[in-house]
Amino acid sequence: MAHDTHHHKESFITKYLFSQDHKMIAKQYLLTAIFMGAIGITLSALFRMKLGWPDERFPLLESILGSDAAPDGLLDSNWYLGLVTLHGTIMVFFVLTGGLSGTFSNLLIPLQVGARDMASGLLNMIAYWLFFLSSVLMAASLFIETGPAMAGWTVYPPLSVLAEFQPGSGLGMTLWLLSMTVFIASSLIGGINYIVTILNLRTKGMTMTRLPLTIWAFFITAILGVLSFPVLLSAAVLLLMDRGFGTSFYMSDIVTSSGALDATGGSPILYEHLFWFLGHPEVYIILLPALGMTSEIISTCSRKPIFGYRAMIGSMLAIGFLSFIVWGHHMFLTGMNPFLGGVFTFTTLLIAIPSAVKAFNYITTIWKGNVIMTPAMLFCIGSVSTFISGGLTGIILADSALDISQHDTYFVVGHFHIVMGMTAILGMFAGIYHWFPKMYGKSMNKRMGMVHFWITIVCGYGVFLPMHFLGEGGLPRRYYENTNFPMFDHFLDLNIMISIFASVGVIAQVIFFFNFFYSIFRGPKSSQNPWNANSLEWTTPVEHVHGNWIGEIPTVHRWPYDYSKPGKDTDFVPQHIPLDDNEEEH
Amino acid sequence: MEIKFIIIITVALFFIALVQLMKIYDLAAKVRGEKSQEKVSRSENMLMANLMLVFMVVFFGFVIWLISKYGSNSGLYTSATIHGRDIDELLMFNWWIILPVFFITNTLLFGFSWKYYHREERTALYYPHNNKLEAVWTIVPAIVLAFIVIYGLMTWNKIMYNQEKGEIVEVYGYQFGWIVRYSGVDNTLGKADYKMVSATNPLGVITESTIKDTYLEIDQRVNDIDSILSNNINGDGEYLLPESKVDKLQEELDRHKRRKYRIEASIDRKENNVNVYESSNDDIIVQEIHLVKDQPYTFKFRSKDVIHCPWFPHFRAQINAVPGMETSFALTPTITTAEMRADPDVQKHWENINVIHNERKRRIGEEEERVLFDYVLMCNKICGAGHSNMQLKVIVETQEEFNNWIENNGDNKRLTFSGQEVSWSKTKEQASL
Repeated sequence: MAHDTHHHKESFITKYLFSQDHKMIAKQYLLTAIFMGAIGITLSALFRMKLGWPDERFPLLESILGSDAAPDGLLDSNWYLGLVTLHGTIMVFFVLTGGLSGTFSNLLIPLQVGARDMASGLLNMIAYWLFFLSSVLMAASLFIETGPAMAGWTVYPPLSVLAEFQPGSGLGMTLWLLSMTVFIASSLIGGINYIVTILNLRTKGMTMTRLPLTIWAFFITAILGVLSFPVLLSAAVLLLMDRGFGTSFYMSDIVTSSGALDATGGSPILYEHLFWFLGHPEVYIILLPALGMTSEIISTCSRKPIFGYRAMIGSMLAIGFLSFIVWGHHMFLTGMNPFLGGVFTFTTLLIAIPSAVKAFNYITTIWKGNVIMTPAMLFCIGSVSTFISGGLTGIILADSALDISQHDTYFVVGHFHIVMGMTAILGMFAGIYHWFPKMYGKSMNKRMGMVHFWITIVCGYGVFLPMHFLGEGGLPRRYYENTNFPMFDHFLDLNIMISIFASVGVIAQVIFFFNFFYSIFRGPKSSQNPWNANSLEWTTPVEHVHGNWIGEIPTVHRWPYDYSKPGKDTDFVPQHIPLDDNEEEH
Repeated sequence: MEIKFIIIITVALFFIALVQLMKIYDLAAKVRGEKSQEKVSRSENMLMANLMLVFMVVFFGFVIWLISKYGSNSGLYTSATIHGRDIDELLMFNWWIILPVFFITNTLLFGFSWKYYHREERTALYYPHNNKLEAVWTIVPAIVLAFIVIYGLMTWNKIMYNQEKGEIVEVYGYQFGWIVRYSGVDNTLGKADYKMVSATNPLGVITESTIKDTYLEIDQRVNDIDSILSNNINGDGEYLLPESKVDKLQEELDRHKRRKYRIEASIDRKENNVNVYESSNDDIIVQEIHLVKDQPYTFKFRSKDVIHCPWFPHFRAQINAVPGMETSFALTPTITTAEMRADPDVQKHWENINVIHNERKRRIGEEEERVLFDYVLMCNKICGAGHSNMQLKVIVETQEEFNNWIENNGDNKRLTFSGQEVSWSKTKEQASL
């Protein structure tokens, strides 16, 4: 292979800070994501307090957010939008894109394809530090007097252009754009590295059709990211120019309190097209890694091969391709040509087919399995359930005619939080519980993991299922208070219920944080292959070494899903075990 | 400060307690002889499997409770427009497909997880693929979706390519409210331009007199700034004002000059615009939207500042109002406000709303009131601090009631561009918000 195992001495800085080792970088991504995730979900609990109890004053809010944001404990309406915006941005980009892909692509790609490290360790390190910098910038925008960006996570112009329209569109928005620019650079560098590693550094015998589905998912995710993030970058740059240099890409015919602006000829719709050209593939950038890990864990813990391996790859490829031609379903009601709306309805509903294939394949994998209920497996079952439940309501939103009565209501909020938010976050938790032994050489406490799962799934559904009914009742999203319209008064107690579920759900994550950090330091030492899994990462030693394997990298002889294969002594056959004389591959 | 201190202490104590609990747990596990956290015991597997089933039952129960309590449109009732009823039917069609699939697939998922939990003596079935089965669940969803797509697109096209010529009403969104303009007898809105928007002309309507007024306004401001600047200059030609202030004034001066130039160049062309000037003569600006039952309407939407989204929940109608672009939506209301209020279901629902509404009013110490059903227009695209309160009352009534309102409604005085006697004051207030 390219280089042998290194054993040179490392300082603290090269080992823990500016490490080029993919395993350490994966842990850095994970810790950053957990930190950002804690901020993101806390913000949601804070603004849910206002929605659940619109007339109460919470001194807690003032002590956490400061007196600008919550004078006398009553959340300010601009800050409410700021919290919503940052919650969305942090969860979508920093936790479920940077955090999810960053952690598990880095950890698993070299280990599962059989490589000593990423194709470029240096680029990998740079990608992480850019991610870290962008996280700091985004978190810092919470500490500005005028507040963070407030125009929603999609930051549509002209609202996001002038501080006159809302205070957050001043410095807060500038920080948002800077942070996102750095973030995009990080994503692109990371993505290219993943693609190159998967294509070029596979070990002997590891053909593309012997790759674990995790790797396929990371591979397609990275391609989606590399093709779509540059478009967001261009959208951000044009927005930056509209804000700072007097251009009018997105601005036209606008009157402010100081009179008509000069800007003419631009269109906010252009921004929406550019944004959603990333924004929709982004949904799958978030989902696919979670689904990939779910495939792997469900198969391992059901002691049964994943059903329809090739169909799973095919459906991921189909989803990946289709995700590029559906962005217009976010824009049915922008005044876009109705014909275009029809086309996007068609392409969007096509995605339901590969998604259905995936869902049925998961269920068939569990059927007649021998399901071990590790915390990771519990989270996977939850993730499949939310993928189904949320995916089904997507059929309604994809229909342009129905979108007229559902668009931007709480129905949308409920839908995407279940299908994208919960599926991905449950998948991410599954990944953490499953590969924690690989990351830290320790085991997490299983009982705490089980309790964590049950509270999370109950609260998750408890928060987001009722939102569908708020939406059916016509309640628009991003409303600071619903009390201005008597017609929404009968939702008062439903909103209280949602807020209670949300607070319990958020507080329950303390169990996870505690379990995670406690286990890093005091957890019991794990064995080399704790789940009796087949893929290559479990052939590496528990203690991390540079280059992953001491000695030769194993050669691969079979696919990774030979569980409970008839005629074998054990119920698993790792990938590096050669085929018997007259054994069929699968 | 004290509160923060107490919170920090509490959190710290909580974590210390947790760590101690974990230590006890670890010790107990050691005593029991459990070596690792990796192996899930038989009893744990069984417990989790049973919980799967319990969860499924509770989960389905929750969904059914929500449907029975908040289903049937959660208080939006039958749609009050023709196209809205098509949307509702399409929605029901979709629900009848989605809900069975939801219950069946979730039952399979949780049921299998329960039935096939791990026992040492069992062996999983080696079943890597089955092409026939996979073809079935590719093709069946494809066929079902084909129906959904075709039915959906037929409805969409019917709504969007509505050729019926309706009465034109303009809704103009701004932070944070709406201005409504009726197109009058000629059913043509007078042309408007954002460069003409001013305190006295909130919609920027173009007429000979508004152009003259705009020039006057601009000239006056230009003179004001000129005189400020020339009064604050010393003998050496240096300004006595702070530099930033001078810059600001000069910038404003330039802007006004540019605006005037652009109005002269592109708007003030009488020879091209005679019809345009006249069509605004019978336009009327009002404070509420009054619609006549069974009369087709074509709404035109514009925005003054940011993207808004006019949303009529009871009409199942919404489309964005985008600065720099006109959008439109055609609808025909079919139920008057009075008819809606007389409906027994609506009455029952609003009795309940009144109870909840006034409970809250008492709690926050406000005066109790009786609230009645009304159609409403609200904003459904994030637009800033006042987003959640951009409301406008919509009234659907008979032709006689409408005529009565438009002729002699004291509060909503006619506002025409030909008759100067009408009151500008109301709109002035609104426009300067």
